[in-house]
Amino acid sequence: MTLPPTLSVENLTVSYPVRAGTFWRPPTFLTAVDEVTFAIAPGETLGLVGESGSGKTTVGRAVMRRVNTSAGRIFFRGEEITQMEGEPLRKLRARMQLVLQDPYTSLNPRMRIADIVAEPLLVHGRVKNTSEARDHVRALLDLVGMPADAHLRYPHSFSGGQRQRVGIARALALEPDLIVADEPVSALDVSVQAQVVNLLQDIQQRMGLSYLFIAHDLSVVRHISHRIAIMYAGRIVEIAPRERVFAAPVHPYTKTLLSAVPIPDPKIQRTRKRLIPLGEPVDLANPPPGCRFQTRCAFATDQCRVTSPPLLERSKGHVAACWNF
Amino acid sequence: MTLTVRDLHVAFETRGGRVNALRGVNLSVAPGETLGIVGESGSGKSVTAQAIMGLIDLPGRIEAGSITWNGKSLLEGDGYGTSVWGREISMIFQDPMTSLNPLMTIGAQICEVLTQHLGMTAEQARERAVDLLAAVGISGPRRRVDQYPHEFSGGMRQRAMIAMSIACNPKVLIADEPTTALDVTVQAQILDLLAELQSGLGLAIILITHDLGTVAGLCQRVAVMYSGRIVESQSVDAIFERPQHPYTQGLLRSTPRLDEPATRLLSIEGTPPSLMQADDGCAFRKRCPIAADACKEMPPLVTEGAVQIACHFPGRPAWQARQAG
Ligand SMILES: Nc1ncnc2c1ncn2[C@@H]1O[C@H](COP(=O)(O)OP(=O)(O)OP(=O)(O)O)[C@@H](O)[C@H]1O
Ligand SMILES: Nc1ncnc2c1ncn2[C@@H]1O[C@H](COP(=O)(O)OP(=O)(O)OP(=O)(O)O)[C@@H](O)[C@H]1O
Ligand code: SF4
Ligand SMILES: [Mg+2]
Ligand SMILES: [Mg+2]
Repeated sequence: MTLPPTLSVENLTVSYPVRAGTFWRPPTFLTAVDEVTFAIAPGETLGLVGESGSGKTTVGRAVMRRVNTSAGRIFFRGEEITQMEGEPLRKLRARMQLVLQDPYTSLNPRMRIADIVAEPLLVHGRVKNTSEARDHVRALLDLVGMPADAHLRYPHSFSGGQRQRVGIARALALEPDLIVADEPVSALDVSVQAQVVNLLQDIQQRMGLSYLFIAHDLSVVRHISHRIAIMYAGRIVEIAPRERVFAAPVHPYTKTLLSAVPIPDPKIQRTRKRLIPLGEPVDLANPPPGCRFQTRCAFATDQCRVTSPPLLERSKGHVAACWNF
Repeated sequence: MTLTVRDLHVAFETRGGRVNALRGVNLSVAPGETLGIVGESGSGKSVTAQAIMGLIDLPGRIEAGSITWNGKSLLEGDGYGTSVWGREISMIFQDPMTSLNPLMTIGAQICEVLTQHLGMTAEQARERAVDLLAAVGISGPRRRVDQYPHEFSGGMRQRAMIAMSIACNPKVLIADEPTTALDVTVQAQILDLLAELQSGLGLAIILITHDLGTVAGLCQRVAVMYSGRIVESQSVDAIFERPQHPYTQGLLRSTPRLDEPATRLLSIEGTPPSLMQADDGCAFRKRCPIAADACKEMPPLVTEGAVQIACHFPGRPAWQARQAG
């Protein structure tokens, strides 16, 4: 018997209303996420990478039910949650948590660390007051490697990496099944990045939870993900087990992305050939027909300019959407 | 034609106490050279750049040290600094959206610089603005010059910022995390542009970044900062091959690389000391695996040939070799 995926989304589509620029133009919508399908197994990490503005954060917000979906379905541990409301939604929110990019603004500067970590426990009625949560909070702070005296201090007295640990402790307080981490290490320097990535991995091993790990840095994503999904202009163009993405990328955008990741070695980096995408990024309010990458792809053919390529399986667990590769 | 910083001390008076952000920074950069500055978050990289540009404002103060350009001090009250900043020495900031005026067209902003600093007429300035946009690889510069920042993508805004910063033919360009907010493909284009400008115009560039891959591709020399000081400075090839300072060694081994197997990331445990504390020996010693009694004394920055290093045990391997596989 296999467990249902912790999270699965089918044809998830999210549109944002964008104000009409002028009086003669009717209001328009921008489809930030367009028919996205993926699943995350228990204990698995799915990395989500892609161009800035490709819809990664929107996917994360839709999954957490913080933005309305326009079409498609979302399942959490086998149960459909797309339209869930009221008390069930409140209960659901305890089981999925969000960790955000900016450790400087995501913690309330007026609250002590202990209160920050205890807050979800209070909100969800697991404890009656902060002192009842004390042991639990200490255990959580200990789990994320914060110093013993941290609980009475305020966020400003901690470094970026330490604040990110506090954010993680808070997300873990309710023992969620899923953490959506949106660029959790992008603001941190490499040695601190490594601390946080390792911490997330250790916690996963201990608690068996799943991660949707959003980032734009492929070299970090590779270390934490079991599988990686690549987004371009609102669509997933490729999903593969992590090593396949690097060993056998299929989609031209994935290849472009890989070639652009800088390698910290002067002799290699100086002579490396990069694939620079042609032209300008896609305007999502006015996307091109066919493949979204066709306006920038060196291999685009007539078919690419007319019909969207479907996501097809290339090898076990490896799907890609491209007509020519 | 060298920019030289000697023993620079900068402190900020804050409500919580005095933050000694720079504690004796030494560096220099010559025409045609790119100096990379890397280091822990909060180590003083941006403050160094701000000090060179005359941008340290209260509650900050330059407490000691000198900054000279062609042997003349930028810090004396004779106005030499004012005649140099923005012209011979200019700067690109991390976030183009906050440094561009959203209410002015890109062209008007570039023209403002040109008419103010170079005394051009409006027509001359406009022609030059179009040339500058073309020089930084913006297509259709004649049309683009009349557009507003929000009509530009992130990468194009950063190009526009670069156009503005090279408008007065500077000799030194300081770039503080110029590509951190951009995705890797755009990042690659901006870095190529900087490299071209450098060889074309003979610019000296100071590039501040936490991305060692970027440093490897663009810089000839690297200075590593830790806790308000430069702890190591060497040629780029040497620093990647033979990092001398234990912090540099640790930084390099924590860097995730696409061209190596995805093993567990190695981090430097612990955090830097508070900048409010007085100097008390080597700032890295609480985290340094080879710290000894000698490290309770502050190690001076010693120059040997082309290498500058502040460590009592320079070159001694501080960490075990990376495990293969
Ligand atoms: N609240 C909103 N209203 C209108 N448009 C939005 C809103 N939020 C995001 N968008 C647009 O939706 C698209 C996808 O944005 P999203 O933030 O999901 O991208 P992302 O992949 O997370 O990008 P980044 O890497 O820059 O964080 C973008 O074009 C963005 O401008
Ligand atoms: N205006 C200010 N008031 C008080 N402290 C300041 C101010 N500006 C900078 N600092 C302090 O000076 C130190 C150095 O900051 P700086 O911004 O130079 O770091 P950095 O090396 O650029 O870090 P990052 O990689 O995070 O950008 C930090 O501890 C910072 O908190
Ligand atoms: S489908 Fe066509 S345009 Fe799209 S990536 Fe493949 S080759 Fe390029
Ligand atoms: Mg985002
Ligand atoms: Mg900085």
